[in-house]
Amino acid sequence: MGKPFILNLVHRLELSPEYSQKTNGAGGKEDAFTGALTSESVEIFKTQQRLAHENGLKTTIQLTYASLFSDECIELAKADHEKYGDEISLSLLGLPCPEFKSKYKTKDFCIWMFSEDDKRAIIDDVFGLFKKKLGFYPHSTGSYYLDAYCLNYIHEKYPSVKAAVATCFEEGPKAYHTCNNSWYTFLDGGPWNPWIPSKENTHCPASDAKDDCGIVCIPHLSRDVMACFDGNGSNFGTHPQNVLRGMIYDHKRRIPYLYNLIDQYRHLGKWNRYAYNMMFVGPGWMNRSGRWEVPYEGLYKSYEDAMRYYGKLKKEGLLIDMTMEEFADFYRIGLDYQEPERCLWKDILYGSTKQYFWYLDPHFRTCLDMNQGGAMIDLRPYAAKLPWKVGIGTRSVYDASYPYLIQANYRAGYFTHYAGEGTVKSYKVKHGSEAYDGCLQRTMARCDVLENGDTLLTLDPVTFAFSDLSCDVVSRFLFKKGEGKIEITREITRIEGKGEVEIEEYFTGAFGINEYQSDMSKIVLTSDGESGHQEIHYAYKCRALHEEKASQIAALIPDVDTLLSMGSDEMVAGNVEEGYAFSPCYRLALSKKFTSKGELRTWLSLRKAS
Amino acid sequence: MAQSKKGKLNYRCPSCFIRDIDIDMFYDEKKKEYYCLRCCFHGSEEEVLRLNDMLKFRYKWMEKRVLDFGDDDKAPKVEDYKGEEEK
Ligand SMILES: [Zn+2]
Repeated sequence: MGKPFILNLVHRLELSPEYSQKTNGAGGKEDAFTGALTSESVEIFKTQQRLAHENGLKTTIQLTYASLFSDECIELAKADHEKYGDEISLSLLGLPCPEFKSKYKTKDFCIWMFSEDDKRAIIDDVFGLFKKKLGFYPHSTGSYYLDAYCLNYIHEKYPSVKAAVATCFEEGPKAYHTCNNSWYTFLDGGPWNPWIPSKENTHCPASDAKDDCGIVCIPHLSRDVMACFDGNGSNFGTHPQNVLRGMIYDHKRRIPYLYNLIDQYRHLGKWNRYAYNMMFVGPGWMNRSGRWEVPYEGLYKSYEDAMRYYGKLKKEGLLIDMTMEEFADFYRIGLDYQEPERCLWKDILYGSTKQYFWYLDPHFRTCLDMNQGGAMIDLRPYAAKLPWKVGIGTRSVYDASYPYLIQANYRAGYFTHYAGEGTVKSYKVKHGSEAYDGCLQRTMARCDVLENGDTLLTLDPVTFAFSDLSCDVVSRFLFKKGEGKIEITREITRIEGKGEVEIEEYFTGAFGINEYQSDMSKIVLTSDGESGHQEIHYAYKCRALHEEKASQIAALIPDVDTLLSMGSDEMVAGNVEEGYAFSPCYRLALSKKFTSKGELRTWLSLRKAS
Repeated sequence: MAQSKKGKLNYRCPSCFIRDIDIDMFYDEKKKEYYCLRCCFHGSEEEVLRLNDMLKFRYKWMEKRVLDFGDDDKAPKVEDYKGEEEK
């Protein structure tokens, strides 16, 4: 492969991890700032550091506000920095401690959820204390999520910060449900690999130097981008605890899935300029009383095994361990803001042949499912760069998710119960009274990066079999670099039988951040073509527009400041459909008829509406 | 009767786990069983352990090691895990 595989191994020194405070259950102390927990946390941190160093790996030590009050913690960090070259960094997680509580009079611990005044005060407090204790400002920081307000403030006030942990891939409603509807980290819709956020919204990659927030961001863990989309994110990532939580181990508590996951991340170098892994652990999960169904010995073994595997890769010259600061410098060498992140991902857990293609650039993030004929099952309009404020005092106190236009799991996709439609982009092939959807065509794809930077995804041919006709269709998706545009070709490569075949390329969309649809009445659907301009102002009335020769059909969605449009250079037939109350979606479709081999080539474009 | 407590380990409800809900069970000393607050599941420790094994049914490659991710449009090549990475 030849592409560098980089590891950021981050250990944060939490003294009273928020998820450890109540794990003693009924009868346990409610407020766990006990001396015992603190000293156990320090011991676990030391163990984690030792396991990394024994395997020749350097770490980024993220001190927390609480740990900055401990001379022992500071001395530990300094000693490992001297001896192993570990970076001494500063986390905005781990705020809870008696000093924090007495000062801010709250149990909140997620920096993005505070009011703007508190965000500034806390950041200044934490950074100031770090400077006082260490003599310099940190070069990296992080949290589970950092909103644009925090990132911009940190960059302006503490320009020494080059890198930050700033999101957790697909942590949102799924994590909330898994935690019995009690864990309020709603961060869906962001990148799975490092990126530089836009100044407007953390999830969106910056478009250019002007939009660059100044900080290279990395995700919290490297997550299985299929398992985490389909199911609970917290079971499938490069944190051994995730794998234990998912019970993905055999009777000897061996965890080959973790190595397969790491290896698949290494494999992503095939389509990108480097490959990457991030492991981010605190002490809370490795405590003496065990975690989930696993006793301490099992927790220890899982971390030892993980460190040994990374260490083995390093010894074989297949891994470069970097501190977060070093990674930020590396990331900026030869940086091209419009360069996409590509990820052709295979199932490594269920043993199916399911395959996803994830793609993101400053214009959008999307996912295609080859198990559904290449159907688009997720789409986030980054082009809109929504200035979505989050925290107390804003319209969205805790929900930092970036909106989707398509999310086929939250909003049905192809399969619905008897009525209505779900959000998905696919195609139908029709012949006489028969019609089949590409979603029922299981296939796989190849990904090529073209010389001009475009990305071409070519799907293996699929067969549509009608009662008196059959045809093969090859689908191609050409992601145009820097344009916010995908060119989609459905080519009939074989046709046998009599009569006509029609291919319909359709997009069934909505918008939202969770499983429910908010009011759609600001949406305007349009059609332009031979018969001029037509429009529908969304009112759930099940209306439709038809244009025999359409140049463009579109949906203007002011709630997410997005203009979604579809078209074809051939001026094919266009259909636009409004939804209804039981099916709150909109549907755009382009279609063309064939009697012999040929292709339907259409494009899909996303732009900021305002 | 006194209140229920956590068991010695953090057993989650197997029935809720399978629907992606992590919810710790509590132990009823009198009935010698774990039970769920969210659904009607209840069972002995042996039963919970047996069900925890069973609910891995979907992880068909849990004990496989990928040898090669292969061609883009082919499934990865795997073999039974022999434990090379572990002591
Ligand atoms: Zn239950």
